[in-house]
Amino acid sequence: MRSTFMGLEIAKRGMFTQQSALHTTGNNIANANTPGYTRQRVNFQATESYPSLGLNRPTIPGQIGTGVEAGSVQRIRESYLDGQYRSENNKLGYWESRANALEKMEEIMNEPSDTGLSKTIDQFWKALQDLALDPTNSGARAVVKERGIAVAETFNYLSTSLTSVQDDLKGELDVSVKEINSIANQLNNINKQIASIEPNGYLPNNLYDERDALLDKLSSLANIKVSYQKSGGNSLEIAEGSVTVEIVDSNGKSLGTLVDGSQKKTNELAVNYNKTNGLVESVNIGSKELPVKEFNSLGKISSLIDSYGYTYESNGKMVEEGLYPEMLGMLDTMAYSFAEEFNKVHRSGWSLNDFDSNNEPLEHTEINFYSFGRKADGTDALLTRDNIKGAASLITISKAIEESTDNIAAAYPDNGQPVQIGDGKNAIKLAEVKNQTFSIGGKSTTLQNYYEGLIGGMAVNAQEAERLTSNSSVLRDSVDQRRQSVSAVSLDEEMTNMIQFQHAYNAAARMITLQDELLDTIINRMGV
Amino acid sequence: MNELRVTQSMLASNSLKNLSKSYANMGKYQDQLATGKKISRPSDDPVVAIKGMFYRTNLTEVEQYKRNLSEAYTWMENSEAGIEQATQVVQRIRELVVQAKNDSNSPEDLQAIGVEISQLKEDLVGVANTQVAGRYIFNGTQTKSPPITKDANGNLDFSKMITNSYNVEVSKGVQLKVNTNANNVFGEELFNTLNQIETALQDGVGSFENGDAALEKLDGHINSILAERSELGARYNRLELVDSRLGDQEVIATRILSDNEDADIERVITDLTIQESIHRASLAVGSRIIQPTLMDFLR
Repeated sequence: MRSTFMGLEIAKRGMFTQQSALHTTGNNIANANTPGYTRQRVNFQATESYPSLGLNRPTIPGQIGTGVEAGSVQRIRESYLDGQYRSENNKLGYWESRANALEKMEEIMNEPSDTGLSKTIDQFWKALQDLALDPTNSGARAVVKERGIAVAETFNYLSTSLTSVQDDLKGELDVSVKEINSIANQLNNINKQIASIEPNGYLPNNLYDERDALLDKLSSLANIKVSYQKSGGNSLEIAEGSVTVEIVDSNGKSLGTLVDGSQKKTNELAVNYNKTNGLVESVNIGSKELPVKEFNSLGKISSLIDSYGYTYESNGKMVEEGLYPEMLGMLDTMAYSFAEEFNKVHRSGWSLNDFDSNNEPLEHTEINFYSFGRKADGTDALLTRDNIKGAASLITISKAIEESTDNIAAAYPDNGQPVQIGDGKNAIKLAEVKNQTFSIGGKSTTLQNYYEGLIGGMAVNAQEAERLTSNSSVLRDSVDQRRQSVSAVSLDEEMTNMIQFQHAYNAAARMITLQDELLDTIINRMGV
Repeated sequence: MNELRVTQSMLASNSLKNLSKSYANMGKYQDQLATGKKISRPSDDPVVAIKGMFYRTNLTEVEQYKRNLSEAYTWMENSEAGIEQATQVVQRIRELVVQAKNDSNSPEDLQAIGVEISQLKEDLVGVANTQVAGRYIFNGTQTKSPPITKDANGNLDFSKMITNSYNVEVSKGVQLKVNTNANNVFGEELFNTLNQIETALQDGVGSFENGDAALEKLDGHINSILAERSELGARYNRLELVDSRLGDQEVIATRILSDNEDADIERVITDLTIQESIHRASLAVGSRIIQPTLMDFLR
């Protein structure tokens, strides 16, 4: 036998459920512009029909519906789009950071321009040519000295500026490591909250949104693999559970677990620097230490490591690699080889001080034009071929040239004839050092070619980084577009839903009036 | 199902993205116009950048060699002038010798001729010791000391005369000798001849002995001076050739440099104008992203 008041209950359920849907619609509209918000939907489900099965069920024809209930409030989201987004965001994180590092490098190198190293060397060459025209002219000598200083100072400037950007990159790397650890901790906290809410049969949608936004952020720092562990208890089938985040390499092989969803703990990421050269040596994920060469997980962290520089042992020697150490190394090689070759030619020449007051040749003394700083006692410091580190930052004119421009060796003896004071052959030879082929860093090339190669390499690297930045940015945005298409709030749609729910609500309310009239008939008019 | 669901926020973010892309393009064209260059950093076009460095160096070199040329001209023209003067002096001496050969000369006449020749000799020393901008141009690469000096007794000393070549680099690896061999113009033998003539004239005998032999020697010296002069002339021609070639090279180097990296202004202006209209259009579109919603039509 069915209840007299059953209709009231059905109508009430209808009103309550439509109201829930209206509240959710209101929530969607309110959050239409909230970043990271995923639109939500109330999953309507019909309540169990009457009568239900059982031995003492009433024998009435058919099953009658008993109304509706709000099964769950669910986010509308496609997880495979999240995966695609994060994969593109990961590449963007790597290339964008690399493009920035290279952009700064290009600004420092400043080529082609009228102020770069190339121009400075050209001007030095001109000064030497002018000296060759008038070797005893003290004006021409002063210009050679100053232009020579300008070349050394340009090397110094490039080296110190690159080093200072490199230091900034280290700072950025440390900040990014802090960020990745902070995100890991936040994810862990959210995991804990979710694990305590889900077993009660709820869907913590706001926590899911928050967690997805954090994972998006994390993906730009390192290449991550995300998996989920169910919370158990009375969790709904569609509950997401706790997240486990692994850092993976470019082949998808796990390098370590950053956030452990089942243990509810995090493993801190740490970057370890070499004590001698200060470059990155290894990366720790928790207690697991990876040599830097094995940490090839794309993303901002590894991009910063590549730019700042890393080091590893090979054949008993510490190798230094990375954008900035390599550029600094090439400048060192160039400064050292140039100074070495220039000094060699300069030593073979005769300076004004090698002549007596009657302009007759005296003894030939060997003078260096360049040195690499001064020793404590004020004499010239020189470097050896095996240890040229810092050559570009140290190069300066020698003490002798600094003290007197008469020490500039412009003259060179003719074959078998005594050298003359007004001779400029050595000045020409000095000028020609720029165009001469000699060994620079083990390669036989000219100074100009070596430098062009260095700038060209940098330019191609920067171009590639910029192209890939813009490519991955376009791809990421198009995935995001699709993600927005699924998850973003559409006001028209919400408005349509609102009308739909409102009318259903009104109709359910009308059903209550109808029930009231029916009951009035039974109670007040029947048998009276 | 596959129809893309488009929401208000998507329209807004797309519109913003397109606006900023359009701004970036405008910025690029404005940079090109403002700097006149196709590229502002090497990564814009690595090949143009590297070529730019090379062509710049090339142009610098051509400019410097042109500067070297003007130094070469100074040396050669001054040498030429010196030799010209020396030729006139020696010609004058020859005339005097011819005059002295006349038997009608009195001892006083010969004496006077002798005095003039002695003065002309001093003239020659002066020419040999010519300085241009503080440098002796007839003493090889020894520019600080004169080729002809006088010892304590007033005798001429030729031991300091240097005859090597003074070279100027006029293009890569090409050295051009810009001085002359002073020994061929102001050599000791010339002065010996002059001394002999002077002695013969001033010995008070009243006759000029060995006049024919003196003339013959003088002619020999004149010939060697002329030979030196014509060699200088030949080198001067070569210098002019190099000059005109460097002039061509400078034009070419400048043009190549410009072709390589200078922006094609007409084209950039056109592109900029097009970009401006595109930008205006996307701004106009931006103003339309706030469309009426269903709400506007609900009671």
